Amino acid sequence: MEKVLITGIAGGQGRLLARRLLENFEVCGVDRVAWEGHPREVAVHAVDLRKKRFEDVIRTEQPTVVVHMGFIRHFRAGASMRHDVNVRGTKQLLDHCVNHGVQSLVVLSSSYVYGAFPENPYYMDEDSPLSASRSYPEIRDLVEVDTLASAFLWRYPHIRTCVLRPANVLGYYVHSMIGQYLREPRVPTVMGFDPMMQFIHEEDLSEAIALALEHGLQGVFNVTGPGEVPLHTAIRETGGRALPMPEPIMRPLFDRLFRWGLISYPPGAIDYLKYPITVAGDRFVEATNFRPLFSLEEIFQSLRR
Amino acid sequence: MKEVLADLAGALTPLSVRGLQQECEERLRKVPNAINEFGFDGYGMSPEWLRRVALPGILLYRWYFRVETFDIERLPHGRMLLIANHAGQLPFDGVMLAASLLLEAEPPRIARAMGEYWIPRLPWVSVALARAGTLVGTPENCVHMLENGECVMVFPEGVRGINKPFPQRYQLQHFGTGFMRLALQTRAPIVPVAIIGSEEQQPGLVNLKGVGRLLGMPAFPITLGFPWLGPLGILPLPVKYRIYFGAPLHFEGEASDEDAVIEEKVEQVKRAVADLIERGLRERERVFT
Repeated sequence: MEKVLITGIAGGQGRLLARRLLENFEVCGVDRVAWEGHPREVAVHAVDLRKKRFEDVIRTEQPTVVVHMGFIRHFRAGASMRHDVNVRGTKQLLDHCVNHGVQSLVVLSSSYVYGAFPENPYYMDEDSPLSASRSYPEIRDLVEVDTLASAFLWRYPHIRTCVLRPANVLGYYVHSMIGQYLREPRVPTVMGFDPMMQFIHEEDLSEAIALALEHGLQGVFNVTGPGEVPLHTAIRETGGRALPMPEPIMRPLFDRLFRWGLISYPPGAIDYLKYPITVAGDRFVEATNFRPLFSLEEIFQSLRR
Repeated sequence: MKEVLADLAGALTPLSVRGLQQECEERLRKVPNAINEFGFDGYGMSPEWLRRVALPGILLYRWYFRVETFDIERLPHGRMLLIANHAGQLPFDGVMLAASLLLEAEPPRIARAMGEYWIPRLPWVSVALARAGTLVGTPENCVHMLENGECVMVFPEGVRGINKPFPQRYQLQHFGTGFMRLALQTRAPIVPVAIIGSEEQQPGLVNLKGVGRLLGMPAFPITLGFPWLGPLGILPLPVKYRIYFGAPLHFEGEASDEDAVIEEKVEQVKRAVADLIERGLRERERVFT
C-alpha cells in the first residue's frame, strides 16, 4: 500500500480526507496542532512545516504521495505570520518532495485566487489570471502558494502535481472563512449587491481529492459542487439573517475593526460580497468523472444552527 | 399588513392588467432555461423575480408602444445571436425586443443582453439586471451562454446608434465585429432584427460627447424633451413599435480569421438588417399608429 502524508491533517478537511484515504492508503499527517482521538492507523505529527523537524518526518515516514492543505486561512495570527506559514511552508514542502522521492502531490488552493471583480466573466476556467491580490492584498499568500505549486508542476514533470481550486467549501467539520462568515449571528452584506456563489460540500471535496490521486491527475483544476445561488439566498438557507450595510460605511468600519483585531474579516473581503467568482469545473469532471453527492440544500443544511 | 396591501392592490388592479400578469406568468413557466431548486439559473437569472417586475415592461409593450412582431416564428431553437438596430437614447428597444421574445416566441425565450462593464459596480441596478438575465458583455460570457443554448441579443452599433441625432434615423452606424467572431466560434446562427419606431421615440438634436465624458456618462444627448422638461423629458414618445425578424443566417469560417474576412460577413448581416428596416419603413404608413 502506498503511503500518503497530509499536511494540515488536524483541520476539519484534513480529518475527513484522512478517513477517506484510509480505504486505499497508509495515512500519516502533520499539523501544527494535535489531533485528539485520531484513528489508531493514522500517524499524526505535531510539527511546523517551516522547521527542520518536518523534513525529519518526511525522511522517516517516506510517503510517496503528499496532499498539502496545511494553510492558515484566518487572520487571527496576524497577516505576516499567515503569509510566512503558508508561503514558506509550501516552499519547504515542495523542496522536500523533490529530495525525498515523493511521486504525487496534490495542493489544495482555492477559487478565491482569481479575485472578485466587476468584470469577472461567469465560469472562469483555469487559465484565468490570478488577480486576487489586486483588491484583496491580505490573501496574496494564497496566490503565491498557487503560483509556487503551478511552477513546480512544470519544473518537475516526473512528480505528478495537481493543483485544485475548489469553490466555497461548507460543511460541519471544515473551518472555512465562508463557513465562519455564514455562521455569524447577523451576516454583514453590502447593500445593493447579491453576487452568485458556488458551494461544495466538505465530503465531496475529500472525494474530489481522492479521485485526483486515484487518476494520477497532473495540472491545475477548478473543483465545483452542485451549483450556485446568490449570497442572500445562501444566508437565508443556512438559517442566518443578513445585515446589509451601505458600502461607504462598511469599508471604513471594517478597516478599523480589523486593524483593532475586533473582527477577522479584512476590508479586502468586501469585494467578495459584491462581485461573483464562479469557476468552470468541467476540466476536472472530464478527467475524473467527479459527481458531487451533496445538493445545495444538503450543503446549507449542514450549517443550520 | 403585507397581505392586506397585496389584497388591496389585487382588488384595485383592473381585470385587463391582471390578465397581462397571468399571461406573463404562464409564459415564464414555459421558458426552456435550467432553473435550480432555489429559482435561479447559473447566471443569476430568476423567473420568479421577472414575474414580479415584468408588468411595467408588458404594459409598455401592449399599451404604450403597441408592439407588433413580424415573422417571429423564424427564430431557431437553441443558441442564437439576435442582431438589431439601436436607437432612441434610452434602450427601450432592447426591453421591447426581450418582451417580444417572452410574449410571442414559441417556446418563450429569455433574451440575454450583454451589459456595459461598469454595470456590476452599481448597487441594486446590478442585481436587478442580473436577475433579468443581463451579464457583463465579456466575450467569455457570450460564448458560455451561446454554448449553453441561450439567446443573446447584441446591438453592434452600441452608443453610436442609440445616441445618434434625429436626421440620421434608420441609418445604420458602424457595426462592431466582435459578435461575428463569437458566432463563428460557437457556430451560432445570427438572426437579423429590425426595430421600427424606436428611432422616433426620442428625437435627438445633438450629442454633447464632451459633457458626457465630464459626467462619466457614455453620451450626453440633447433631445426634444431633454434637458428642457427635466425628468419628464426622458419619457419616450408613444410611437408604435414594429419588430421584424429575418431568416437565420449561418456563417462558416474561423473566429480567428483576419479582419477583412470578418468584416465582409458583418457587412452581410448589416445589409440583412438594413433590408428589414427598408421593408418596415415601406410597410408603415404612420409613425404613431
